[in-house]
Amino acid sequence: MNTTFGVAVRAIPGGVVLELEGDIDGTAGPGLVAAYQKAVVDTSPQRVLLDFTAADYINSSGIALIVSVLAQARSEHREVLASGLSDHYREIFEITRLADFIELHSNRDEAVNRIAESSGRPRQQS
Amino acid sequence: MPDRDGRELAAFALASRAGSERQALAKIAEAVSDSGLSSRQLERLKTAAAEAMMNAIEHGNHARSELPVEVTVVETEGAVVVSISDRGADTGVTQEPVEPDLDQKLAGLQTPRGWGLFLIRHMVDEVDEVREGERHTVRLTVRPGGTEQASGSQG
Repeated sequence: MNTTFGVAVRAIPGGVVLELEGDIDGTAGPGLVAAYQKAVVDTSPQRVLLDFTAADYINSSGIALIVSVLAQARSEHREVLASGLSDHYREIFEITRLADFIELHSNRDEAVNRIAESSGRPRQQS
Repeated sequence: MPDRDGRELAAFALASRAGSERQALAKIAEAVSDSGLSSRQLERLKTAAAEAMMNAIEHGNHARSELPVEVTVVETEGAVVVSISDRGADTGVTQEPVEPDLDQKLAGLQTPRGWGLFLIRHMVDEVDEVREGERHTVRLTVRPGGTEQASGSQG
């Protein structure tokens, strides 16, 4: 059943993680936008990881939100990565072509390590 | 178009309000639990049904909670058919106003929205719609054991 959207912002070496939780639908808009803005203001990250590990549900309005975040990030020359998508939502990212613009990783550690390596920082111990 | 004369697995109505689509998903998933759908087909059907429900609520019934969205789940020989009905004769799923194009959206030339009908068409084996007076019905067909490669074909 419905689970309320939540998001936490965590700085990591070379970027920032937006930890998404609950339903990624139209109601997630204000929270997701605010979290992205906070991440940009606080850390000016080169790379933004959207971690879907705790996300339960993504609908078309959620896809639109992700498109909005991606568009803004690209306009700011920031790379967007994603982790923790289920096979089903990974397929949706492929069908919509989001996967052409967002690097997908099966789990958060893998993505965090990729970001650290890209920025020349030491790998995180998993 | 599948034969609609089959075994009814579920029939229910929900108010036209946000969140009803999630209630519908749970009921649909329970109804088709023994229909031979793979987990992938089930997830795809749930996504299509949720989007069709949201269209029915927002565009068909204009979020008037007193208007129900009616859902039936029927198992026929070789197919599961989920029918979602609203009172919006002027709505439709088989004609997308603008095909979503991610390049255009990222360039600001299309709104970020507009993925609902696209998802419906890509998630199930067949989509068709029927209008009877003011009643508008979208039918989503999934064939258990099929190729699982929804073509987005329309009936």
